[in-house]
Amino acid sequence: MATCPNCDAQILLEASKCPACSAVFGEGSAWHPIAQSPEVEQQLRQRYAASTPTIATEVTSGGNEIARVEKVIDAPEIRYPVEFTASVGEYFRIWIVNLALTILTLGIYSAWAKVRKKRYFYGHTKIAGDSFEYRANPVAILKGRLIAVGALAVLYAVGQFAPSFRWIVYIAAAFIVPWLIVRSMAFKAYNSAYRNIRLHFRGTYLECLRIIVGYGLLMPVTFGLAYPYLKARLVKFAAWNHYYGTMQFEVADLRQQFRRIFGNGVVGIGLLIGLVVGALHGGGTAVFGWRPDSSAVSVGSTLVSYAGLLLIFAYSRSRYTNATFNNLSLGRVRFECALRARELFWLYLVNILAIIVTLGLATPWAAVRTLSYRAEKMTMLAAGGLDNFFAAESAQVSAAGEEVGEMFDIDIGL
Amino acid sequence: MIEFSAIYYDGKTSARTPVRVRGYTRTLHIVGADVNIEVPLPEVRVDAPVANTRRALHLPGGSQLQTEDHAALAALFPRAHRLQTWVQALERRWGYALAAIVVIGGFTWWCLSYGLPVTAKAIAGFVPITIEAKLGEQTLYTLDQSLCSPSAVAADRRQAVLKSFGTLTAGLNDGYAYRLELRACGRIGPNALALPGGTVVVTDDLVNLAQNDQQVAAILAHEIGHVRYRHGLRLALQAAGVAALIAALAGDAVSITNLAVILPTALLQSGYSRELEAEADLYAFQRLKEIGSSPKYFAEIMTLLEEHRDKRASSEGNGKRDKSADASGASDYLSTHPATARRIERALANQ
Repeated sequence: MATCPNCDAQILLEASKCPACSAVFGEGSAWHPIAQSPEVEQQLRQRYAASTPTIATEVTSGGNEIARVEKVIDAPEIRYPVEFTASVGEYFRIWIVNLALTILTLGIYSAWAKVRKKRYFYGHTKIAGDSFEYRANPVAILKGRLIAVGALAVLYAVGQFAPSFRWIVYIAAAFIVPWLIVRSMAFKAYNSAYRNIRLHFRGTYLECLRIIVGYGLLMPVTFGLAYPYLKARLVKFAAWNHYYGTMQFEVADLRQQFRRIFGNGVVGIGLLIGLVVGALHGGGTAVFGWRPDSSAVSVGSTLVSYAGLLLIFAYSRSRYTNATFNNLSLGRVRFECALRARELFWLYLVNILAIIVTLGLATPWAAVRTLSYRAEKMTMLAAGGLDNFFAAESAQVSAAGEEVGEMFDIDIGL
Repeated sequence: MIEFSAIYYDGKTSARTPVRVRGYTRTLHIVGADVNIEVPLPEVRVDAPVANTRRALHLPGGSQLQTEDHAALAALFPRAHRLQTWVQALERRWGYALAAIVVIGGFTWWCLSYGLPVTAKAIAGFVPITIEAKLGEQTLYTLDQSLCSPSAVAADRRQAVLKSFGTLTAGLNDGYAYRLELRACGRIGPNALALPGGTVVVTDDLVNLAQNDQQVAAILAHEIGHVRYRHGLRLALQAAGVAALIAALAGDAVSITNLAVILPTALLQSGYSRELEAEADLYAFQRLKEIGSSPKYFAEIMTLLEEHRDKRASSEGNGKRDKSADASGASDYLSTHPATARRIERALANQ
């Protein structure tokens, strides 16, 4: 007899599938039955020798063998590009029709509109021929939005009419924000599926609260220099608490990389301020004969600073995203992300200009080309291929109180 | 019987199995490698259609079929998701997309020019004056912090202005606690502000610009009009409405592109106060006549203000004419006061 590695049920040694949880064993599969006795272990080893070849390395120290390390030789990695097949025309029609319906229903339809737009994009994002699924219930989104609108109205009213009570709002926000982060991550994960396996998010409110409050207090003390650590901590929190079915995501320690990216960004901002100040005083006068306060110089320096901020934004966005995905793994699956700061900068710049010039009508075009660029730069690598990749969905997961995740959805970008 | 190809996912593993599905009136029969199941049709939940993306059939027990055979699904589930099927039909044709543009454009225009001001006016009616006064106090505090310092007007002149303010507000009985505040605010020049709740702020520059107390009184009457019609509160409510409208319209623009919608807000803001100004003007004309003065003083002070503005524009424009023309053109467009000439004309007609 042996046990199932997924659910610990008793199974037959020669079983190719667990009768309790349907886990698949066999060649190329990530899981094998676990032996209960040394003889069985021997038999198992013979049986699965072909699927997971190992090399035994003797680690010696001064001629004495101290350990025997068995290393699994990974099956060759297969590259799966992320395909994005949305069309601008089709999405434009979906976007505009749903926007009009939202307006005609005074915003109530907006939840349905959101689901349709998300489902369009998810459905057109494909890996290995299978598309993603967005399963959110519009009613849950509508509820979340009504609550968000109510909360914003209270905030606005307090700010306008009772400014002396503002501090209460700030303190309340410190406790509410982590809750919103956890809930929105759980909602998004729970409603995203690939090959009929959902993602799950199991981060707790308390852990998130500790991060937000702890680093929140650290930020002013360190003059914002703690930001990369906060971001790395949040990414760690997000990644390790996400599951594809029962399989946990893992991410390497990103603090050092984030610190470097942040450092470059700060240097960039410093240079930018120098440039603008230089243009205002002296530079403009010397080169073009403008007076420092003339409107041309101030317009010029405003444009330079917006472009510079956009460049810094594009730089940090691309580097943070790349660092995160390149260090992320899910079982035997890992990712490659190769966004370029320069390309992202032009992409955003053209998007902004196009949206202004067309009074917003270019929004769907901008959305499609942004997502298309991001997909193009993303690759998934699976050792042994995706068809053998395994992520059982145990019955426990859906019972683990994750229905709360269906309660609301509030969009929070991290 | 309807037959179509699909992919079967068991919901427990990430494996995919291509299958053939036969749909009968009461059951679905799914056949493929390792799969041979029969499912009662009423227990199958089908996803709403979105463009030509794959549709999923959720089977009892958590397994799933996905297919691109939209015709087969339409035949199998003719009555599922009626609303979204109708929306999908709208999304398919460019004609409806154009109609949607017209609807959105028309609605936006209607909101800005009519809907929001009317709604703001209606809501303002429900706000107690005490709360309105709080809003005004906050604004005055901000002004004192940032733009203004205590007035430097001579005491006798100050008394005269306060007296005419007293005459203007005497016996109004509208619940407002009227109060006049003189301030030296160099940066905003000759100006007067009506704060919600009854406080009127007049700048030293305006008092100095006026040739007599009657002209100051004309401006004060105009500001009292703003207070009585609750314009400050209405503007604050309208600004909130515009913000909500823009959030609704641009809600899903991709992150940073939201920046692009901030600029138009500033331009739209100036648009509606024109009607409010005209409303306050009319009140001023009427009130001036009631206290035995005349709207002609309003015309005079407006002329003075206009001259002052022209003078400033030309003194700024010295040496670089083309640029100053640009700048004053822009400031005219952003100005919150409607074409002054028309207001002067109206004042003279109302004598």
